[in-house]
Amino acid sequence: MNRSLVYGGDKFNIRTPAPLHCPGCHHPLANKAICDAIEALGLVGEVVAVWGVGCAAMGMATVNLDSISTAHGRALDVATGIKRALRGKPLVFAVMGDGDCVAIGAEALFNAAARGEKVTGIMINNANYGTTGGQMAPTTLLGQVTATTPEGRSAESTGFPVHVPEMLVPWKGVTYAARGSVHTPANFQRTKGYLEKAFKKQMDGVGFTFVEVVSACPSDWHMTPVDCLKFIEEKMLAEYPLGEFKDVDTIV
Amino acid sequence: MVEKLFVQGNEAIGWGALMAGCEAFFGYPITPQNEVIEWFSREYPRRGLVFLQSQSETASVNMLYGAASTGIRALTSTSSPGWALMQETMSHAVNAELPFVVVVVQRGGIGQGTTQHAQMDYTTATRGGGQGGYRVPVVAPASVQETHDFVQLAFYLADKYRTPAIVLTDGLLGQMMEGLEVKCLDFGPLPEKDWALRGRAYHPDGKRRAHICESGLVPLELHVLRTYLDYIAHWEAKFREMERNEVRYESYLLEDAELVLVAYGYVARVCLDAMDEARSAGLKVGLVRPITVWPFPKQVIREQAERGARFLVAEDSLGQMVEDVRLAVEGRSEVYLLSMLSRHVKSPSGMILSDSVLNEIHRLLEKVGGRR
Amino acid sequence: MTARGEVEINERYCLGCGYCAHFCNRGCIVVPGDRFTPQGYLLPVFVNQEKCTGCAMCSWMCPQFAIDVYRHVDAGAPAKGTPKGKAKPSK
Repeated sequence: MNRSLVYGGDKFNIRTPAPLHCPGCHHPLANKAICDAIEALGLVGEVVAVWGVGCAAMGMATVNLDSISTAHGRALDVATGIKRALRGKPLVFAVMGDGDCVAIGAEALFNAAARGEKVTGIMINNANYGTTGGQMAPTTLLGQVTATTPEGRSAESTGFPVHVPEMLVPWKGVTYAARGSVHTPANFQRTKGYLEKAFKKQMDGVGFTFVEVVSACPSDWHMTPVDCLKFIEEKMLAEYPLGEFKDVDTIV
Repeated sequence: MVEKLFVQGNEAIGWGALMAGCEAFFGYPITPQNEVIEWFSREYPRRGLVFLQSQSETASVNMLYGAASTGIRALTSTSSPGWALMQETMSHAVNAELPFVVVVVQRGGIGQGTTQHAQMDYTTATRGGGQGGYRVPVVAPASVQETHDFVQLAFYLADKYRTPAIVLTDGLLGQMMEGLEVKCLDFGPLPEKDWALRGRAYHPDGKRRAHICESGLVPLELHVLRTYLDYIAHWEAKFREMERNEVRYESYLLEDAELVLVAYGYVARVCLDAMDEARSAGLKVGLVRPITVWPFPKQVIREQAERGARFLVAEDSLGQMVEDVRLAVEGRSEVYLLSMLSRHVKSPSGMILSDSVLNEIHRLLEKVGGRR
Repeated sequence: MTARGEVEINERYCLGCGYCAHFCNRGCIVVPGDRFTPQGYLLPVFVNQEKCTGCAMCSWMCPQFAIDVYRHVDAGAPAKGTPKGKAKPSK
């Protein structure tokens, strides 16, 4: 019987001698959605990928795109340098963890957004700092136990979870801001669609685009991967609603 | 085309960058080099070149890091407090082997300090203020013309060794005006940048390119899975190669010198005057002016020490280059320091002037007599 | 009935996260608990093969690119919602 491959193979994936992600990690799922979006837009050879620190940096080694890794919090500045140096030609995106994007990375994020920089920021929101062992992130939920909030996060001493795409909506330089997830097949495809839109607006030269991907971190959530899916569905989505918050075609 | 202008040293940075084919400037205002970013804001956009005023010096150097990874020449300019903000990314750029030029127009420290000249960033420029302990080429002009020339030299060294490079100047050189011949300088052939990022479609072998600044942490197939120590050994070999091949300096009247002045930047010009006056008074004084403060001209200093000469290091700091002179001398002779405490006035405008240097020369030669 | 699809699970890359078994709504992938990958992770197994439609959700959701999904060419039109793949053989 003849058969044809529907989905699979290595596509953009580079095999490393040992796996670089934990079982059930959503970083590689998000990377997969990114690459599927690139392929759908026909941009395969025209991309430069910028990777933040931590588990996001594993994308450097596992995704077959021209790539660069960065200092903590600086991915969007590096992306700016690349995009401007190449006069806007390739697709340039930055994959960052939550802290890399909006804690130490806030300076770069706000100013890229304010300038309407033609790059795409992608924030993998797993509500903690994973690589370092699961400390609190700006996106950690209230009451969530992390390595630095052993009693559960309290608003009184550490404030409230940060909602990035919502925050970017009033900024005139921002043309697209969305939040997706990869915790179900339907959401995987929807997030791929958000990324396609974000990339397309970038290539059309409109302005700054941003996609947050709510993600699981089984190792530091101390749950099985399948239980993480439940945590996302019940707890993460209650704090971080999915959808497109801003979608405009011009910013001037 | 050779154009003759009368400009500030700060403007000469721009002309030098333009002649070097620098395609992008990312920067942030800070005194005493605001004329630099303003020059680029006027001259670059209208030539179709990239100009961006970023939100901080940290951002500027990271934009350079990104731009350099695409193979173009890119530059930033800053002063001492801004230079402090660039340290982490300098270290990352040495790791990732990305070439770009940073101009540091030194001003008085410590801390926010003053907005006028000093020579207090020698150590962080030559030793690296970021993590790990690395070395990058550092060139030190002493005139407006040299500022323009050495920006081009810095780009050449950066591209030749795939490293960031520094032009170490100061607020005096930046603010003063002198004649400038704008011209393109050729320092020699350079390798192709086949490592540049552009998108996989642009590489003849079809393979992707990648630059990692965490060598040793994440395995990368392009590096053939070299070990962490392989990376360390590679960088070490590069530093040693630059030390062997790229030392540049000027020397005066060393053959019979009993006291050798060592100075760079504006202080070197002051010392030239002091040396001439001392010679007129019959004192046997010479001068070594490092052009590359890294790699430091250790060999000529050592030779003079072996000849029996003593050294007077004059610098507008509390004593930073003097340590390099002491290292080169290795105990064979005495090394004295004329520091910023000998400035002619106590305000931020104080300078090391030839009177102070000459007095110290007299004092030393009368006190210790002739050669040892 | 003949299967429309076929799933290959590469035990060398599988990390035993269980997403594939969780998302197959036809019971074609199970984690028996006594099969392991060479690295010691719980290996999922493709069973009830005749029920597979080749929807490929297991492959979409595999973080480690350890699953290839094929459609049998004689099997008729693809199910709604499945992405088109290239006709490229697996390694």
